[in-house]
Amino acid sequence: MPSIRSVPALPATGELFGCSFRSILRQAERPLGFEANEALEQDVQLVQQCLQGDGSAWEELVRQHSRRVFNICYRFTGNRTEAEDLTQDVFLRIYRTLASYRSAHGGFATWMTSVTRNLLIDHYRRTKRDRATDSLDDAMPVVENKESSAKRPDEQALLGELSGQVQSALTKLSPELREAVVLRDLQQLEYGEIQRVLAVPEGTVKSRINRGRIELARILQQMGVRPA
Amino acid sequence: MGQFEVFWPTTRELGSFAGCLMNWTCEQTELLLTDYLDGLLSAAEQHEFDAHVNSCPRCTPLVSSVTHAISALHALPQIDPSPRLVYNILDKTLGPRETVTGWAAVRAWLRGINPQRLAYGSVSLCAMFLTFASFTSFSWKKPRVADLAPAKVYQGADRQAHLVYARSTKFVSDLRVVYEIQSRLQREDQLPNNQDSTTPQTSPDKNPGSTDGSAPASPKQQNRANDLASRSLVLAAACPVCSEGRIQ
Repeated sequence: MPSIRSVPALPATGELFGCSFRSILRQAERPLGFEANEALEQDVQLVQQCLQGDGSAWEELVRQHSRRVFNICYRFTGNRTEAEDLTQDVFLRIYRTLASYRSAHGGFATWMTSVTRNLLIDHYRRTKRDRATDSLDDAMPVVENKESSAKRPDEQALLGELSGQVQSALTKLSPELREAVVLRDLQQLEYGEIQRVLAVPEGTVKSRINRGRIELARILQQMGVRPA
Repeated sequence: MGQFEVFWPTTRELGSFAGCLMNWTCEQTELLLTDYLDGLLSAAEQHEFDAHVNSCPRCTPLVSSVTHAISALHALPQIDPSPRLVYNILDKTLGPRETVTGWAAVRAWLRGINPQRLAYGSVSLCAMFLTFASFTSFSWKKPRVADLAPAKVYQGADRQAHLVYARSTKFVSDLRVVYEIQSRLQREDQLPNNQDSTTPQTSPDKNPGSTDGSAPASPKQQNRANDLASRSLVLAAACPVCSEGRIQ
């Protein structure tokens, strides 16, 4: 269940990073409490209706979650076409295995994120041979990166220069670190939810998030992206 | 598990334990960076962290760069998938559905519209139409379809363009006159008792060019003074209008 995070008082010596820290927290706030519970109950009701054969309930589930799943896939792969294909595969698998969902194991969104993550890892392993290496030592410049060259010009314009650079840096992370950073900093999931999605201990989750953030910062520095 | 269970300390506990034994190190900073950014450190740990980071040439840029990276991640926008994605998913799961017609089709189409984009598009379209209508001879009080004919639109736009040009030219000309009068008055203020001045002393009681007996003004200067006086009278009368930038 989502928990309310309290902000501790920061000492004056940490004001430089305290301000940044506070601004990060402000952006990281999600709808908690009553709204989250309402969304969970609605999902459970829709799932039950789907299992009874209600097509409109399934359509409602697809409309509510497709954007979120697409964004997870897009931020992980960096390619719009692949992200859409993977999104379709995710919903296809969920449709086929809907009867195996148990609300006692966590929210429907968490279960869906777990399925998404598994498919992303499978996809990554299948296409590993075609990709540039994901090791930092062998990192290629953005211009020569196979994934960024596959981006359409309108996508790049849409994202903006910084967004494009951050996305490019994300795709350079190893998949374990990438999924942890995407789930924490982009999807803003709690540590407990990420633990259920990745099926690893919470300590491993924090470790991967920490290493992923530091690695991402180093990649951005190597790319010459400076703080605003 | 067996009778005895072994509990391995977490990374955080190891870091905190190390902190108790020795001064805060760069390795601890890197290890507990996420906990610090998430506000999970105790007050004492936070104090040690800040004290070390503020004085360490290695950790200061590290924490700054990680903070910037997280901010950049949070600033990434949510991407909208293509509108066909939902329909493709539904076709693959529920199978091809019969085409809806009538009001059901309209409702389905409305459901797929992004309200934000619809609002922006509507506002842009209205603004464009209002701009377009202002350049034509389209009358809002008596709207006629004939006013939207291309020939009429061109004539209206041509007339408006000439009007705007004429008004702006007049405005600039009036500003020049005001500037000349002001500069001339300033010059006169600076030289109040100069009898040898060739500038004619205009008197409100006498005709322009009539001085107090000193060297008479040359015809050219007299004409200039007449011209300035008449222009200043016209400008004074038209000043409220000039300030609005319109010609009555």
